[in-house]
Amino acid sequence: MSTERPLTLRPITDDEHRAYLASLPGASFLQTPGWARVKPEWRSESVGWFGPDGIQYGAALVLHRQLPKIGRSLAYLPEGPVIDWTDDRLADWLDPLTTHLRRQGAFAVRIGPPVVVRRWSAAQVKEGIADDGVRLLSQVPPAERSAVGARVLSQLDELGWRHQGVEGGFAAGQPAFVFQVPLRTTDEAGEERPRTEDEVLKGMNQLWRRNIKKAVKSGVEVTRVATGTPEMTAALAEFHALYVHTARRDHFTPRPASYFTTMAEALGADDTDRFTLWLARHEDDLVAATIAIRVGEHAWYSYGASSTDKREVRGSNAVQWAMMRDALERGAAVYDLRGITETLNSEDPHVGLIQFKVGTGGEAVEYAGEWDLPLNRVLYKAFDLYMKRRG
Amino acid sequence: MSLTLTVDGPRWRAHLEAVASANPGLVPVAKGNGYGFGLGRLARRAQWLRDRGHDVPALAVGTYEELDQVATRWSGDLLVLTPWRPWVALPGPTFGKRLIHTVSRLEDLRALLAADPRARIVVEHVTSMRRHGMTARELWEAGELLRKHPGARVEGLALHLPLAAGGHYSEVSRLITDAVGADVADLSTIWVSHLTGAELTRLRSEYGDFAVRPRIGTELWLGDRGALTVAATVIDVHPVARGEHFGYRGRSAPKDGHLLIVSGGTAHGIGLEAPTGEHSLRARAATIARGGLDAAGFVRSPYSIDGKQRLFAEPPHMQASMLFLPAGARVPAVGDPIDVRVRYTATAFDRVDITD
Repeated sequence: MSTERPLTLRPITDDEHRAYLASLPGASFLQTPGWARVKPEWRSESVGWFGPDGIQYGAALVLHRQLPKIGRSLAYLPEGPVIDWTDDRLADWLDPLTTHLRRQGAFAVRIGPPVVVRRWSAAQVKEGIADDGVRLLSQVPPAERSAVGARVLSQLDELGWRHQGVEGGFAAGQPAFVFQVPLRTTDEAGEERPRTEDEVLKGMNQLWRRNIKKAVKSGVEVTRVATGTPEMTAALAEFHALYVHTARRDHFTPRPASYFTTMAEALGADDTDRFTLWLARHEDDLVAATIAIRVGEHAWYSYGASSTDKREVRGSNAVQWAMMRDALERGAAVYDLRGITETLNSEDPHVGLIQFKVGTGGEAVEYAGEWDLPLNRVLYKAFDLYMKRRG
Repeated sequence: MSLTLTVDGPRWRAHLEAVASANPGLVPVAKGNGYGFGLGRLARRAQWLRDRGHDVPALAVGTYEELDQVATRWSGDLLVLTPWRPWVALPGPTFGKRLIHTVSRLEDLRALLAADPRARIVVEHVTSMRRHGMTARELWEAGELLRKHPGARVEGLALHLPLAAGGHYSEVSRLITDAVGADVADLSTIWVSHLTGAELTRLRSEYGDFAVRPRIGTELWLGDRGALTVAATVIDVHPVARGEHFGYRGRSAPKDGHLLIVSGGTAHGIGLEAPTGEHSLRARAATIARGGLDAAGFVRSPYSIDGKQRLFAEPPHMQASMLFLPAGARVPAVGDPIDVRVRYTATAFDRVDITD
């Protein structure tokens, strides 16, 4: 694909934004116009890149995070912008963006290029956890280092952007390390084709397969609830009750019910297939409930809840398997279980979560991470200090 | 009658083995004057390390001209550190397929691939030292070119880092990312120098999918100074009285004493000074002090007798130097050895004796 130069940038309407994303195989749900309404405490805008031919080549959702009292903001593009990251002239894309945002009163821009840098197989991650000498994923030789990802890192570095590492810098935003199950494979002829359900199942570890079987045997039933259906309101209430229960058990602060109602409505307004709720019942008891999000070929497992009773019927595995099958059926290329920490230290409390995800047989994926470009050095430094103290 | 480097063989060899054990993939560097030992000897010693089972895949020389001195004494791969240029004639089959070229410019890569489509190549990436090497974008172009020449044998990525010990890690990591962008599978061997042990360990841990080839010269050959002794020989001794004339230039003696004629002159590198790398205030003050001595006609020599450094009576000759020994000092006899401090990389010894 060739892009006409020079590229210019202008604000676009939600409809233009939606239409552009619909023309792509996928994008992060954090870059959809609907996501702006999930974060109403941030001012937001949609912008688009256009060539002299008038064709749109890119889009971004910008969230403006206001600094208290000063009236300047951090312009945040979570898992974006949606541009051609394979381009060796990223300055042509990023310069118009930063010029625009500077005019909007931004003191800094933060982006999260949706570009893969490294991948590790489930087996490699498992070996890393088992090896006491390995504490971080980076210490395991990756199955793949992406040349495209490397070029993005080199260019951002060259253009003065600063990588926001886990330690130091602002409190971490979107995770750079995620766990994904590929839903496509390449056959001997080099052709890409969807994996079969059987292939996906076979990729899982024995425990996962056993648990899925157990759930079926015990009679766990999973139902899918789409946005815009009459069942949604009641289903959201059921989900939230179980989620609050899970939060109490696992010691995290739950989000209010209104957050999920807003999310369902806002994402559902973009596309009725974007937000779905999944409920796993055993007899009349809700044993697990999850939220799935899909943008084109990318499907995410977003939030999950599970009951403390009846763990033996394996509702969590059943609902995950149902979501994966649904993603496959709808032509998704990736089932994304979202963030994992980089630690492979077997004593770290986070390692249990990684082990659960690794059981799906997918791969650990490192994205380019979040990068900042300070536009006002003094304010940026002050904000950085403020975030460090807060974190 | 000569300027002699005496090597405590067992101690030196033990040091060489220790360095080789600590640095798997070691690429010994044998260039220039062979660090005082001579290129041939270093090549044989590298072969000895390899024969003893150490992981020493290649030997590095500085220039194409140096290849002849090492090629028959070493059986492994040969790397030339100076980047190939189009005016360098490709050596004949003497070195066979053992020769690895360093390539630091896109145009050279094109020319070399045209001259020898099966050439073995290490691609050099420019570092903060800014000596030779391609930029990130040139590397990416090189990658494209190499993908069109499947016959070319890419042996890895060369990084020449500045000397300062420590603090290179983030640079190395950035440079490797640049190289990954070139999308050439075989750029996964890193030929690197001047990393600390800790940095090399980290590199091996975080880039386990890369092979690391540390190029080591000074630390390998000269790393254990205690194993090395340098001695000159007293060739002649003459008493002089204050005001008496002597030497090529008919200088007069500043006071009573002795003139000592000792082995070692400009042909050996004695009395020749390169700007030192030191830039501390102290080092600069020392340079000024030496200049002051020079102005007065007295220059400190690298020779010392009974632990005291002595002055040159006049500038060194080609193969001998004349020292002034003031009255009252012990006068060594003709044939006695005396200590001399040299810069090994700039000294041509008459003899190198290695004890068994």
